[in-house]
Amino acid sequence: MARVYVSSVIGAPAAKVWARVRDFNGLPNWHPRIAESRIENGDPADKVGCIRAFSLRSGDRLREQLLGLSDYDMFCTYAILDSPMPLTNYVATLRLTPITDLERTFIEWSADFDCAPEQEAELVAGIGTNVFQGGFDALKRAFGG
Amino acid sequence: MPHVVRSTIIEAPVDRLWSILRDFNGHDHWHPIVARSEIERANPSDRVGCIRRFQLRDGSELREQLLTLSDLEMTFSYCLLDTPIPLFNYVAHVRLLPVTDGNRSFWHWESRFTTPPGREAELARLVGDEVYTNGIEAVRRLPELAGEGV
Repeated sequence: MARVYVSSVIGAPAAKVWARVRDFNGLPNWHPRIAESRIENGDPADKVGCIRAFSLRSGDRLREQLLGLSDYDMFCTYAILDSPMPLTNYVATLRLTPITDLERTFIEWSADFDCAPEQEAELVAGIGTNVFQGGFDALKRAFGG
Repeated sequence: MPHVVRSTIIEAPVDRLWSILRDFNGHDHWHPIVARSEIERANPSDRVGCIRRFQLRDGSELREQLLTLSDLEMTFSYCLLDTPIPLFNYVAHVRLLPVTDGNRSFWHWESRFTTPPGREAELARLVGDEVYTNGIEAVRRLPELAGEGV
């Protein structure tokens, strides 16, 4: 099983960052790689079990299902249902934790998945750099780093 | 039941910070309120269940027991056994996480406890500011961590 872990510091209180990222249908509002998103079956975006169908600026399409959402612990866990990437059993978590002495946010994004051994390094680097760190860099531009 | 949380970013790689914090008998090297520390019965300080005896700078003593230690998760937890301060059912957790964006460390220190009625805020401030924040600031100034990080 492959694992990706990326973490950073966002220059705003965790409640403000959480208000931006908790919307499971809101990736196009803050992630530069996401073009459009919708929730299937007209479900609310904070209904655990709901499915988001979204497309990247590259044209690739993905479907992901919300597995867990906590406004108390400020995390969101989801699984990939369909994607063009050669991987299976992909489960990811985005988590925020307050940094109490700075009024800033410690942000972590991690994923576990299965793939062919020869593709692992490329997938780990691509997800970690383009998806996770790319999202963090956009949040740092919006809120300060 | 008071819940005290202090967290910070330390400008040093997480394995270096963990090598300092994981020593359950090492707080007298860095914490300004701890004058002396020893582990009872000559146990190793990474033996889960071991008990440390602190002598504080004001001369008082306290005993704490190691409940959890994980080098994989970079966490430890401990409870107070005997203390001159009226903190009851005190359990604290320390965890470190890497900040991969900059090779820094996130340090989270929290506890829950009960107190005599009416003293919750006073004792929560004592634990959070005197113990945790002062400890964090002392570690930040340690020469072995200075000049590390970004």
